Amino acid sequence: MSGPRNAQDRLRRLLVMLPWLMEVGEVPLAEVARRFDMTEAQVQADLELVAMCGLPPFVDEMIDVFVDDGIVFVGVPRLFTRPLRLTAPEAFGLLTSARTAMDLPGADPEGSLGRGLAKLAAALADAGLDVGVDDVSGEESHGDDTAGVVVDLARPELTDELAEAAASGAEVEIEYYSPARAEVTRRSIVPRHVYADVGNWYVLADDDRSQERRTFRIDRIETAVRTGRTVDVEVVAAPERFFDDADVARATIRLAPGARWVLDRYPIDELTELADGWVEARLPVSSERWLAKLLIRLGPEAVLSEPADANPAPAAARAILDRYLAAGD
Amino acid sequence: MVDRIERLTNLLALLLETTRPLSLVEIAAELDGQYPENDRARRGSFERDKAALREIGVPIETDIVGGGPFAGQTTYRIDRRAYELADLDLTPDEVRALQVAVAAVRTESGRDAIWKLGGALGDERSAVSAVIPHRPELPAIRTAVAARAPIEFGYRGERRTLDPWGLLLRGGFWYVIGHDHDRDERRTFRVDRFDPVGAVDGGGGGDARPTGEASVRIGETGSFRRPASFDPRTAFPADPKQIGAGADERIDALVRVDALRAVAIERELGVDRVVERADDGSIVVSVPAGNLPAFRSWLLGLLDHAVVESPPDLRQHLIDWLSALVGDAAATTEPGLR
Repeated sequence: MSGPRNAQDRLRRLLVMLPWLMEVGEVPLAEVARRFDMTEAQVQADLELVAMCGLPPFVDEMIDVFVDDGIVFVGVPRLFTRPLRLTAPEAFGLLTSARTAMDLPGADPEGSLGRGLAKLAAALADAGLDVGVDDVSGEESHGDDTAGVVVDLARPELTDELAEAAASGAEVEIEYYSPARAEVTRRSIVPRHVYADVGNWYVLADDDRSQERRTFRIDRIETAVRTGRTVDVEVVAAPERFFDDADVARATIRLAPGARWVLDRYPIDELTELADGWVEARLPVSSERWLAKLLIRLGPEAVLSEPADANPAPAAARAILDRYLAAGD
Repeated sequence: MVDRIERLTNLLALLLETTRPLSLVEIAAELDGQYPENDRARRGSFERDKAALREIGVPIETDIVGGGPFAGQTTYRIDRRAYELADLDLTPDEVRALQVAVAAVRTESGRDAIWKLGGALGDERSAVSAVIPHRPELPAIRTAVAARAPIEFGYRGERRTLDPWGLLLRGGFWYVIGHDHDRDERRTFRVDRFDPVGAVDGGGGGDARPTGEASVRIGETGSFRRPASFDPRTAFPADPKQIGAGADERIDALVRVDALRAVAIERELGVDRVVERADDGSIVVSVPAGNLPAFRSWLLGLLDHAVVESPPDLRQHLIDWLSALVGDAAATTEPGLR
């Protein structure tokens, strides 16, 4: 929507916009802009440009489109009446989204999503982008190759209950284990959004204890009981990243090649490649305890460079070690 | 000179409309005045345009003229059937369901795909959503799974060749499961642990081709068959802490977990894993420890709420690991103490 757009991106967008315009025939410029996430000026400029495209003897006639008084008109559709086939990343993105959505609480695999997915998979198979399951006899059957890509978002048992509460505005009393303080608290929450992110399930909820909207990790909720109180349902979007917050403290850690998984697991502000496959990463730290845990798990594969004078790992490692030395021997 | 997007659009139109493959000389003649006069400059501009079109997914076919006065010349065309999205015959509620799926699962390329299907992402709001980790290697691996083509990649500094049977997202990570050529057995690899681009040296088979940004080479289509009974969920090691370890390396550790974390851990591992319950609320659980790094990472995530009771060598390993962490600071901040 903003920033300079290169010719490639503009063409990519035009190739989905033109078939749609030909289908609808006449549509307000503002609606085109909103639908394709562009400004009206950008839509107008690009359409005027392609209106001049063509080949002899059809120069200026091949793409019959014009904008008049805020309305886009399409004349005789000649070229680009069908969208370009899906690219491998698009096909992957779509299939993964559909498979994931089928694995979310409340999904109906027999419903429209399941049917749409089956048609999509069959079309991709025909296009050579997917094949069906191998049969023992060696014949290939076209259809959704469900074994090819599997999304398994195993969820804690309370997830469905919390998702239902979010959908009905029900207040729930929970017992929550807080790792930052290593204690279990009892609080009443109204779930607003339930989501999975990098292997964990979270619930974004209005929390009576802090009087704020907070995110809780569902596997740390030990019990959840409805209080009987209900409030208006308010569907809110999931946060972009769990603790992607400028107010959160940062740490800079050097990571060995074997510790690179950290880069995928957590949001990273800054990344510098070092010698021998090491990297230096600056990342948000939700709590000192979290940082200590990360460093202890990584051991020699991580070196904290900042804050150098406040490394929480040795004291935390000492606390664990004391338990080994006290117990038994 | 015309605007680049105009030239690209004209080139695309020409290659779609032509009834026979065209050489660059013919293309330049048709698109009169749009490419430079100079041979080398013209070739350079055309190659950039061709690459740009291919990158957005346009299938440009090339051919070498076999005989006649133009023998040896390269010609170009686009097969309309390969270019156009097949009619999926989706009903409006199916498009809408896919739209909601893409909105609930934020993937990078889902939006463009939905546009192509005639939908658009509007203000779908759902009370449930998921974030799926993205890896540049994934589309290439999926394509290879579908094409039954082997893949070649670097993994912890070693080159591996695998018949990919399937991809599995579990616990927030993508895994590829298949038949490892060198080990001659089924193996599971974590995709985000693939070595970055450039780490695989180019000595592979003649058919192997690099796949752009991804660090995966795809071999010949139709090279293997997948067992009919294959299901990534059951093929996956039963416990993630067992990945990479063979069945014969099965070691179970006994771990005491504090009352504070006992409920959550029992729920995570299942009641069958609890071997002892103490009066103070703590429990002893039996945990697979065949893959030491994975086990250690899981255990230390519990900080001082969990202690290994046996086997003794594993217990000693953790004492050594922790002592090293404590020692680092002790040496610099508390010389002579302890």
